[in-house]
Amino acid sequence: MKQKKECVAMLLAGGQGARLGVLTGQVAKPAVPFGGKYRIIDFTLSNTINSHIDTIGVLTQYQPFELNTYIGNGQPWDLDRLNGGVYVLPPFMRAKSGEWYKGTANAIYQNIAFIDKYNPTYVLVLSGDHIYKMDYSLMLESHIKNRADCSIAVFEVPIKEASRFGIMNADATGRISEFEEKPKKPKSNKASMGIYIFTWQKLRAYLIADEEDKTSQNDFGKNIIPNMLNAGERMFEYSFKGYWKDVGTVSSLWEANMDILDKDKGINLNDPNWKIYARNSAEPPHFVGQNASIERSMVSEGCEIDGALKNSILSHSCVVKQGALIENSVIMPGAVIEEGAVVKYSIVGPNARIGKDAHIGEDLSAQTENGEWEIALIGPEQEIESGTIVTKGQMI
Amino acid sequence: MSNIMSVLFASENESKLNELTIHRTAASLPFCGRYRLLDFVLSNLVNSGITTIGIIARSNYNSLMDHIRMGRDWDLNRKNSGIAVFPPFVTNNARDIYKSKIDALYSMSDYISRAKEEYIIITNGNIAYNFDYELLFDEHIAKKADITMLTYRSAATARRVLPVVGKNGRVTEFLFGVTAPSGEIADVAMNVYLMKKSLLLSLIEGAYSRGQLDFEKDILLSKVAELKIFAYDVKGYVALIDDIKSYYYASMKLLEKKARDELFDSYGNIYTKVKDSVPTAYGDKATVKNSLIADGCRINGYVENSILFRGVNIDEGARVVNSIIMENGQIMSGSHMSYVITDKNVVIREKRNISGFETYPIVIVKDKIV
Repeated sequence: MKQKKECVAMLLAGGQGARLGVLTGQVAKPAVPFGGKYRIIDFTLSNTINSHIDTIGVLTQYQPFELNTYIGNGQPWDLDRLNGGVYVLPPFMRAKSGEWYKGTANAIYQNIAFIDKYNPTYVLVLSGDHIYKMDYSLMLESHIKNRADCSIAVFEVPIKEASRFGIMNADATGRISEFEEKPKKPKSNKASMGIYIFTWQKLRAYLIADEEDKTSQNDFGKNIIPNMLNAGERMFEYSFKGYWKDVGTVSSLWEANMDILDKDKGINLNDPNWKIYARNSAEPPHFVGQNASIERSMVSEGCEIDGALKNSILSHSCVVKQGALIENSVIMPGAVIEEGAVVKYSIVGPNARIGKDAHIGEDLSAQTENGEWEIALIGPEQEIESGTIVTKGQMI
Repeated sequence: MSNIMSVLFASENESKLNELTIHRTAASLPFCGRYRLLDFVLSNLVNSGITTIGIIARSNYNSLMDHIRMGRDWDLNRKNSGIAVFPPFVTNNARDIYKSKIDALYSMSDYISRAKEEYIIITNGNIAYNFDYELLFDEHIAKKADITMLTYRSAATARRVLPVVGKNGRVTEFLFGVTAPSGEIADVAMNVYLMKKSLLLSLIEGAYSRGQLDFEKDILLSKVAELKIFAYDVKGYVALIDDIKSYYYASMKLLEKKARDELFDSYGNIYTKVKDSVPTAYGDKATVKNSLIADGCRINGYVENSILFRGVNIDEGARVVNSIIMENGQIMSGSHMSYVITDKNVVIREKRNISGFETYPIVIVKDKIV
């Protein structure tokens, strides 16, 4: 007999992440490397296990192969359990039908049987594309205390940016009265983080009703949340304070990496009480050569560095040869920077090779008008020939 | 897949490592920034398809058990075969703390004979190298040997066993202690032997019943004429760590790319216990030259020709040269270190000057504050 679980987590990891361009050509966004030795999904998976939730369904759809092998049996996150653990849940064929996940709500709907197997009281819905450290057990406590049907984690954003988010309007007790998706004139600055806790039997009923509604887009933000609000269910906000970043664009992915180098930004990875776990590669310590200079940077295992590194993130197994210069950049695992190459304000994808004396990216002083950094991006496995010049914002 | 099992001695030779083995076995000695010596032999065995591994620990094996756990980091948490640790008194045959290889092997003869493999490799845990035991096995079969032992070219010392290797690789004589030509480059035994299990068991039983204790002298030397003992010369980086000098020399050798490639990039990956430490952070004032740096360090001082283990802090204004700083070491500002080995969790407070010499590096014991 399966033991009953209080809370089961469902992690939505099926999105393509098209705004990350060539980085997500072959892999799903949650599997994109981050911070030298992690993948984006490591943050959500580590938060979950650190919050003592040990049963997680990971819903995959787009380019799932690399993500599936990365998660494997869940052992790096201590999720290889006899009862519970991590399960990768792709869409599947049924006796009479079978279809792709049509939307976020439909993805959960198609896995009702999986959740029912654990007979949970609550279900935590997460997305796999944010960088943050959060204790979901505190949110669950608040959900129980409020006798809520649904709790939505919110994050205070600058009011001028609020129109880019789903905005919650709540009363003094935190009960949500209104939800507006990307409002032109936002009434508050509390943005939904895409993290929900539902009382399972309640959500289950709404998912079934939503599936019967042929006009629905089967989406949490567009359908389930508004439907529940209209029906007068008890819905509460849960205010999250701390570092939180959506890494959906090249610019924001670069920014989040740079934030690691800045102690004041609040994303401290070196926290023994809240470790971020990752599948480790078996690499020796990194070697710093006679001609290297490294300033204000992070370097992972297996690298060989004989060039200059400033304000940058060097992921595991990279090579930086003599005379190469890397500034304000993110170098993903296995990349090679040849002699004399200059890399500035760029992201260099996994296993790319930057040829001798090539120039990638340019010095940037500020964001453009729409708030984006014009980061140059070199895709995974790309070979950049000697002397090539790649200007700011270019993607190869 | 392999028809070979292995027995690994974790405590052999530990006595000459002095301060570094007060708290641990020689096999669990930290090495090269993030490993324990044992990781190399274990990884070699696993990479060669050898997965039935018994580890004999005599004393101080707490750190060894903590490191190995269930063997998962080497993929040895198997249903069939896998890792088994034999501390003293673990079987009915063991009547005392092991004095030598012979009584230790005798006490585990049940384990050895029960295993399904036909051949056995006996090895110590204090050797860093990257090797495929399939090569040894093929040679053993081709030469129709009774015993094949690994050797490498190195300086002879009184502590080492020196086989005299004739033409064709046949061992004709063994030199020990004072009879060994000290300092000269010779064929040095790595204390790794391959033979049939049945041969080992009969040799051990014979020696044990006569109260003999020394595997090399009482068995190998006395039977060198009747047994066909062959030597297999291992090329590339081999570090047999049996005193502080050899530990320091073998560590520093890894600052050369050729040695690193031979140790980490030849036959297979070297695995170790996963600790989930963060990448290393370099500050504004960091200067690092010709050094190996593990994950989780915070560096804001000067480091040259050195090896930093995981979680080491080098404060601004500190200077670390020709030194080895083990896990969680903290070197505070204004301190100068040269030719020093600090064990785990050592704190060097502000403005300390500590300096040894190349042939006599100073060792600072685990958990000390200077």
